[in-house]
Amino acid sequence: MTKRIRSQIARGSGELAILSLLAEQPLYGFEIAKQIDERTGGALKFTLASLYPLLYEMEKRGWVEGRWQANQAGRDRRYYRLTATGRKQLAPLKQEWRSFFQALDSLAGVSHA
Amino acid sequence: MPDWKQVVRERMGQTHLPADTQEDVIAELALHLEEFSDHARASGLTASAATALALQEVQNWSALSAQISRARSEEKTMNHRTKSLWIPALASTLGASLTQATMQWMGVRPHLVWTGPVAMSFYWPWLATLPVFGALGAYLSRRAGGPVRSRLLACLAPVLWLFVLTLLTEPIELASRGFSHLPYYCYGMTNWVVIPGMLLLLGALPFLRESLQQHETAK
Repeated sequence: MTKRIRSQIARGSGELAILSLLAEQPLYGFEIAKQIDERTGGALKFTLASLYPLLYEMEKRGWVEGRWQANQAGRDRRYYRLTATGRKQLAPLKQEWRSFFQALDSLAGVSHA
Repeated sequence: MPDWKQVVRERMGQTHLPADTQEDVIAELALHLEEFSDHARASGLTASAATALALQEVQNWSALSAQISRARSEEKTMNHRTKSLWIPALASTLGASLTQATMQWMGVRPHLVWTGPVAMSFYWPWLATLPVFGALGAYLSRRAGGPVRSRLLACLAPVLWLFVLTLLTEPIELASRGFSHLPYYCYGMTNWVVIPGMLLLLGALPFLRESLQQHETAK
C-alpha cells in the first residue's frame, strides 16, 4: 500500500537532500548548501535561514550529529555526519518521494512533460 | 569585512538557549556568512556587494532566532506552544476575568449607555485595566519565543473565548428569536468583544512592534 505522502514538500525534500549528501561524507553547513545548489543545477537552494533550523531539527531527532572539527586549512567548522538512525530514515524517505512522483506522474504525466 | 559574529549576535537577539549553545550557534552562523561572503568575492563581487549578498541569506532574523531556539532546545514542540501561546493566553484571560469578577463583587456598577432600545454596559475601571492584560499576554508569549501570531492570540484571548462562544450560540438565538435579535447581537459584540479587544491590543502593541523593528534591522 502506498504510504501517505507528506504535505510539507519543501521540508521533506530538504531532509532527503541533506541525508543523501551526508550519506556520502560528513560536511559542514555552507558546504551542504553549496553542494545541493551545484548538484541540482540550482533547482534546490538553501539559504542560511532555511538550512540551519532544518539541520538542528534533524540533529534533535538524532538523524545527524554535528561536531566542531578543524578542516585541512586549520579552520574550525561544525561538521555534520549521518547517524545510524539517520541512515535508517534514508530508504523510507526515498520511497516516499518515489511514491510522490509516481502519484504525480499518474495524475499529470509529469515525467513526460 | 564585518565582524560576522557581532552581526549575528546583534540580529538574532535573545534566543532563550543556554549561553554556551547560543555562542555555538552564533559561531556557526557567522562562519557560514563569512564563507558565503568570501565565496561571493571570489566570484568577482566587491567586498561591500558580497557583504550585502550574504546578509540577504536571512530576511527575518527574529523568525530565524525563534526557529533555532525551538530546534536547539531540549523541549518538544508541544511544550513550546504551551509556553508561547496557551500559558500567556490563560494568564491574560484569568487576569481580565478575575479583575472583572472582583470589581463586580466590590459593587462596581456598569455605566449604561442607551443606543435606542439597547443598553451597552461599560465597566470603565475594568476596561482601563485591559491594556495591562493585553500587554501581559503578548509579553509572556514574546518571552517564550512566540511569533507575532501567538502574541496576538495571547493578548486577545480574553475576548476570543467570548467571540467563539457567541459565534456558536448566535445561530440558535437567531433561529429562535428571528432576525430582530441581530441588532442586540451587534451591540453585544461591540460592547464585549470589539472595544475590549482594541484595549487589549493597545497594551500589546509595544511587544508586537519590537519584532517589526528587528525585521527592519535585518533588512
